[in-house]
Amino acid sequence: MERLASDLLFNPTEEHRMLRQMVADFAAREVEPQAAAHDAKGELNVPLFRRLGDLGLLGITIPEADGGAGMDAVAAVIVHHELAKYDPGFTLAYLAHSMLFVNNFYHCSNAEQRSRYLPRVLSGEWVAGMGMTEPGAGTDVLGMTTTAVRDGDGWVLNGTKTYITNGCEGHCFLVYAKVEGRITAFVVDRDCPGFRTSNHIDKLGMRASTMSELIFEDCKVPGANVLGEVGSGLTHMMRNLEIERTTLAAMSVGIADRCVDIMVRYAEERHAFRQSINRFGQIQRYLADGFAMTEAAKCLVYNVARDIGPDVRNRVGSDAAKLFAAPVGKQVADYAMQVMGGAGYCKEFPVERLWRDAKLLEIGGGTIEAHQKNLTKDLTALLARG
Amino acid sequence: MKILVCVKRIPDPDESLKFAGGGLDYSASKWVPNAFDEYAIETALRLAEVVGGTQRLAEVIVLGIGPESQRQQLTQFLAMGADRGIIVDADPDKLDTATVSKLIAAVFKKEAADLLIAGKLSQDNEGGQVPQRVAGLLDVPQASFAATVEWDQAAKALTVGREVDDGVEVKRVPLPAVVSVDLRIVLPKSVKNGSTPATHAYQEGPRLASLKGITMAKRKPVAVLKPSDLGVAVGTNEQVVGVAAPPARKAGQKVKTVEELFEKLTKEAKVI
Ligand SMILES: Cc1cc2nc3c(=O)[nH]c(=O)nc-3n(C[C@H](O)[C@H](O)[C@H](O)COP(=O)(O)OP(=O)(O)OC[C@H]3O[C@@H](n4cnc5c(N)ncnc54)[C@H](O)[C@@H]3O)c2cc1C
Repeated sequence: MERLASDLLFNPTEEHRMLRQMVADFAAREVEPQAAAHDAKGELNVPLFRRLGDLGLLGITIPEADGGAGMDAVAAVIVHHELAKYDPGFTLAYLAHSMLFVNNFYHCSNAEQRSRYLPRVLSGEWVAGMGMTEPGAGTDVLGMTTTAVRDGDGWVLNGTKTYITNGCEGHCFLVYAKVEGRITAFVVDRDCPGFRTSNHIDKLGMRASTMSELIFEDCKVPGANVLGEVGSGLTHMMRNLEIERTTLAAMSVGIADRCVDIMVRYAEERHAFRQSINRFGQIQRYLADGFAMTEAAKCLVYNVARDIGPDVRNRVGSDAAKLFAAPVGKQVADYAMQVMGGAGYCKEFPVERLWRDAKLLEIGGGTIEAHQKNLTKDLTALLARG
Repeated sequence: MKILVCVKRIPDPDESLKFAGGGLDYSASKWVPNAFDEYAIETALRLAEVVGGTQRLAEVIVLGIGPESQRQQLTQFLAMGADRGIIVDADPDKLDTATVSKLIAAVFKKEAADLLIAGKLSQDNEGGQVPQRVAGLLDVPQASFAATVEWDQAAKALTVGREVDDGVEVKRVPLPAVVSVDLRIVLPKSVKNGSTPATHAYQEGPRLASLKGITMAKRKPVAVLKPSDLGVAVGTNEQVVGVAAPPARKAGQKVKTVEELFEKLTKEAKVI
């Protein structure tokens, strides 16, 4: 096919196009066959996770000189979009590792810290995660109460983080704690004295990734593990939330894309009243509206991703992308289930799993209400107050 | 050792065919590498690399014949791990099998290659002639439809297992040579190079390009040649007279009983 002009939005370069093909092949060959089983068990497939390291996907946004692929936010969106078509839960574990830890860590670490951590997290030998949310502070993130106090050369952390993806398997975590009231980022290894994780927290969807609490009880963290300046944590957090939200939005697009594909095929094959059910106007509405919503979300997410990077800030774009795309994944999964009737509700087809997974995108990485709050604040500053 | 591997772009065989104006309409086709060529590059890479080490035992060169601008499939093979590429810039519609074979043979000679690995056929027209013709033009030994390959580095020879109708034929071919590969060549233990541990099991199928391979691919050298550089005159003795869809099947008959079926099979269809 001659290249359509719109393809430039989704595959800006030959590398992006090859990346998409590679991830799509990997997802169909290796990710899809294990997805239902890991959803049922509620476990992360660690050997498959390491395959992401073999393929070079764990350091997608890290410069080549430091062992990564040196690609941009559009590339990160491509990976999340293609993987989430088959296994959003596994994709969430990938996101927590490569976006929440690796990308964030890279931009606030020094050369010594990079040389200590990057080889292990880029290969997948170590699984990593990020701890921001606490039992008493989610949306109200500045209300966090985990503290870090200087102790000789090192630090002592106290507090609890919760709902932390990759908590059960993780070898190291990027953790935000307050030093005299100022948010500061640390990297904490599993074997730091006084650190432990809770039992696995069971959940509705995204079951192919795990979640636990991170518990710090007089936890001793070496002085060399502070990331950036003391008190600079909020800047790192806000910068990283942009790529986090955009890639979460891309997962919703992946779910919606797959659900459109499944329901269009099913509606042609399934007969009722001696005709394909796609002859019924009510079914046509699910197919057509579902497709249009998916396309709109896809265009918004890819367009926003073009303006996200370590040196550009785009909070308005990333909040808007996730605010719009998250309900689309959920809605289109619901349409697909409705088109399929009983079959959609049963585990023989992936739709019920995608439907359960989709809901998370309206909560994790910021609730839709949080995006509405942020957007109103930013737009008011931008437009109403000159 | 130099291994030459051919790649052909074909319309995705998983897509349904469209007919227009007495021929096939490819205007909306997605183009993919011929799957047997993917098996060929996988074979070449398994021969060239030493699993667990960094040493390379062979240089792998990918050859594509077609317009210079349509090099996506060649780039994909570079991303999988080939060392460099050669494009013979020509319009594939104006080349017949004999000319394509001459071009490949000319590149093989120009490069002084030791081994050509090609797919056993291309999935679009299923000609299945090119590797055999190239071997003939070069006057070198050939083993077609290889299911296993073992490289004896010291003896400069390959032992090739070929699946034939009555079993597996084992051939020993001294290099330089031509090998065409079949599907089973990408099973986990089909290719042995004498340096990678013989117990090593590859993942089945052609490998995925790693992200590192993808970002490196653009930096690998690709030479563009014209058929005239190779002393080959472009032309074709093949002519497509027409392409048409097979006639649609007539609707079948529904029968109520086994007796009725038996009756129809004996009296109407006369097959029993
Ligand atoms: C599967 C999963 C994985 C997760 N992974 C991680 C992880 O890896 N790391 C991490 O740090 N966190 C993680 N989280 C936590 C996630 O980011 C939080 O759940 C989310 O930010 C919401 O916080 P909360 O759950 O405390 O809800 P709350 O903040 O208590 O919100 C409850 C409700 O109140 C609304 N609300 C709150 N404040 C306002 C306001 N000002 N205006 C209007 N409405 C408001 C919310 O929108 C919501 O509807 C994960 C969560 C889940 C479910």
